[in-house]
Amino acid sequence: MAEISTVSEDFLRQLTAVGEVGILVGVPTFNNRDTIERVVSAIQVGLTKYFHRERCVLINPDGGSTDGTPEIFKNVSVQDFGMLLTASPLRTFHRVTAPYHGIPGKERALRSLFTAADLLRAKACAIFPPDSLSITPEWVDSLIRPVYREGFDLVSPAYQRRKFDGLLVRGLVSPMIGALYGRRLHEPVGSELGLSGRLACQFLQKDIWEQEMTTFGLEIWMATTAIVDDFRLCESFLGPKIQAAKQFGQDVAGTVRQVVGALFHCLDLHENFWKKREGSEALPLFGFQYNVALEPLRFNRRGILDTFRSHVEQLVPILESILTPQTLVEVRNVAQLADREFHYPDELWVRTIYEFAAAHHRAVINRNHLLQALPPLYRGWVSSFILENQKADAARVDQRIEALSREFERLKPYLVDRWDAGRGGER
Amino acid sequence: MPSDPLWYKDAVIYELHVRGFYDADGNGTGEFRGLTLKLDYLADLGVSAIWLLPFYPSPLRDDGYDISDYTNIHPAYGALDDFKMFLEEAHRRGLRVITELVLNHTSDQHPWFQEARSSRNNARRDWYVWSDLIERYKKARIIFTDTELSNWAWDPVSKSHYWHRFFSHQPDLNYDNPAVFEAVWGVMKFWLDLGVDGLRLDAVPYLVEREGTACENLPETHEVLKRLRRRVDEHFSEKMLLAEANQWPKDVRQYFGVGDECHMAFHFPLMPRMFMAIKLEDRKPIVDILRNTPEIPDVCQWGIFLRNHDELTLEMVTDEERDYMYDEFAPEKRAQLNLGIRRRLAPLMEGDRRRIELMNGLLMSMPGSPILYYGDEIGMGDNIYLGDRNGVRTPMQWSGGWNAGFSSADPEQLYSPIISNPVYGYQAINVESQRRYDHSLLSWMKRLIRLRKSTRVFGRGTMEILTPQNHRVLAYLRELGSERILMVCNLSSQAQAAELDLRRWKGSVPIEMFGSNLFPPIGDLPYLLTLGPYQFYWFRLRRL
Repeated sequence: MAEISTVSEDFLRQLTAVGEVGILVGVPTFNNRDTIERVVSAIQVGLTKYFHRERCVLINPDGGSTDGTPEIFKNVSVQDFGMLLTASPLRTFHRVTAPYHGIPGKERALRSLFTAADLLRAKACAIFPPDSLSITPEWVDSLIRPVYREGFDLVSPAYQRRKFDGLLVRGLVSPMIGALYGRRLHEPVGSELGLSGRLACQFLQKDIWEQEMTTFGLEIWMATTAIVDDFRLCESFLGPKIQAAKQFGQDVAGTVRQVVGALFHCLDLHENFWKKREGSEALPLFGFQYNVALEPLRFNRRGILDTFRSHVEQLVPILESILTPQTLVEVRNVAQLADREFHYPDELWVRTIYEFAAAHHRAVINRNHLLQALPPLYRGWVSSFILENQKADAARVDQRIEALSREFERLKPYLVDRWDAGRGGER
Repeated sequence: MPSDPLWYKDAVIYELHVRGFYDADGNGTGEFRGLTLKLDYLADLGVSAIWLLPFYPSPLRDDGYDISDYTNIHPAYGALDDFKMFLEEAHRRGLRVITELVLNHTSDQHPWFQEARSSRNNARRDWYVWSDLIERYKKARIIFTDTELSNWAWDPVSKSHYWHRFFSHQPDLNYDNPAVFEAVWGVMKFWLDLGVDGLRLDAVPYLVEREGTACENLPETHEVLKRLRRRVDEHFSEKMLLAEANQWPKDVRQYFGVGDECHMAFHFPLMPRMFMAIKLEDRKPIVDILRNTPEIPDVCQWGIFLRNHDELTLEMVTDEERDYMYDEFAPEKRAQLNLGIRRRLAPLMEGDRRRIELMNGLLMSMPGSPILYYGDEIGMGDNIYLGDRNGVRTPMQWSGGWNAGFSSADPEQLYSPIISNPVYGYQAINVESQRRYDHSLLSWMKRLIRLRKSTRVFGRGTMEILTPQNHRVLAYLRELGSERILMVCNLSSQAQAAELDLRRWKGSVPIEMFGSNLFPPIGDLPYLLTLGPYQFYWFRLRRL
């Protein structure tokens, strides 16, 4: 049961007025006035179009916006449903804003939403980011229907990715979760999510809400926890994901540290589960998959490669504590390769990650320092991957990712060995 | 009877069919003599007017809406003298009488039509609408979609097509012919001269046809009605015309004119939305339709109802709303008819006394004059295995005895089988048993009607919808002069709390009208009320 003390009196009052609902949709915000109107409109049309008989509530946990975001949220209204080829809603469209105090963060927002889901006995929930440029009403259906009608507990998004988009997820997080947890989840860091009310309640009961979770860590924790607790997972295709343009390298180190740190943290939490798990299976994928022409991502490969080469040598004293001697030698050899011959083999990449995970588990050095040593190596692998697939199309890149995933799976026993090796054990 | 030209504004109207109310002569069919014997029951129930379904000579292919003689009584229901006696006795008890005037069409057995079809040169030929081509009036919709494929029917006698908006055996009268107007006025005058207090004008939107239009709500139709009204006002006082126009409120509004057309009109779209609101557990459908209901002249009134002799019509809802209503209230296909649901109130509420009470509470407190359908005051059931709408027209259940106390005839002789299933059968649901105890639905309905009639606020007051945050709670204020009544209704199957902003009436004390209990006075804070499942309160706000 939700701890009522975690929600404000005003929030509770608003929830009381709403009462039991079938569907709860959450949009956490913090100064999103430029995009919130479109997101709320899309959700409202989606709920009306696909769930017009259900009792729905749209909740906006806001981290203290000063740009009027909550006011816009409350006042967005669809004037003419007929022009949007949908009927007018049968029921009242409930909207609740819930400002929370303190540092704006996803964990506080999600805790509010899950508490609301528990109190309102929501059957299905969906969470949307406030700044999505590509959201359509169909996303509402894609994320909620598998829960509401098909009995799934967690719906993870599947996107059409640009050729080299999301390499951290596709080349590390997703294959590693697939190999260790046995579920091939394509977007474990996706910011859109569908989940059942009972899973939301399960999350609430976990002892993580007072811990500091990172922006990206919560999604990984939710996905892996759902797997471990034997909830039903699936994926839903949402089409292309359009985000504000950003270049590779913009705080890539911070992102790698946060995402991989969260994943390694989950490995600790779920050690008893993943070590016994063998093989992997694909998840049911809902939705009609289509491709649209997407502008390719631009990379400064020269810069990425130079950073890798220079940082590897600088980090040797730290890497000696993390990697086995053989792996370190091989990594250093890769760094020595000429541009044309540059190649970071899959097998070496997987071993590198697994050794980092094991070292993180054993806390061979300060974990923050350990995670800071990973981004340069990640840059090396990215550089190699781009070079290798420069002329490949998106489908071919997907095949390469599949091959990499199999490598993660094949080498899982290696991770188990390294995981269990003593602190002063063989290197 | 006390004189009051606006009597219809405060009326509680009881709709019944003579045939189904009480059979005094034991031939299996109710008649005016039987109805007269039951007037004390109606007076005791507290209603103030009786609306009689058609009782005229008719081949009865549409339950009497196919009239073959407008100025007489169907022999099965008695003679004209029986009607006069009934009328006198009703008036003696303070009960007004409203009869049907089917002015859009006649039966094809009516002498007018028989003459009209006899030859193309007959003097009455133009009393109906004829055409050699069926391409005319293509934009007019078909109303009885389950039975009719066209609004034109072939007449093999005069070898031409005649126009009909309802069944093909009901040819439409031609109001472009002044003789038709005069003939219909003659019929009206006949009944009003006898002492009838009001006329329900059946199917008024369809009186006139014009090419290129939907042939509904035409200005020419309104002109016909205005002329009839002028005639009524010139010859009579305290008479009422009630329009049956199954249309959106903005279109029905036209039938009031500026107080110079019909005195009353049914509010069709409100009815399904009350059902929808209670099933959705959300006030939105009711609030939406009330907000889209225009103001009407002071001398006019809406006629509001939950159920009547027809199917629960779903013409004035969207496709999605209709699908929802079918799924929730008529999952059994047999319960669906045309664009509606042929069920009575109690089965629609799954026999849930709380929901039946709430629906009646809404009906009695909404703006308009409420119309009760016979038998619903005791929670009678229906029989969807009977054809057409006959399942909601079964004999009144007076007792648990022979033929439900309706008739002494052999059961096989009855015009319709009596409801006899274990839930709604006459042994379980009947007037006699419900008269025995104070907490029966019948006794409760009497109290409700008495309360409704205790003030003119309900019939004549303004309405303001309040907006508590809890959308499962519908709250509204009716106000007339210094009198204020607050209604708070829980549309949900679960207990609810609601906070009402009543600061404007700070210092007033809400007095719950059923028990006359005082509630805490209104202050500056939101007024908190808790309501059990489907519970409702009527509060009189009094400044002490």
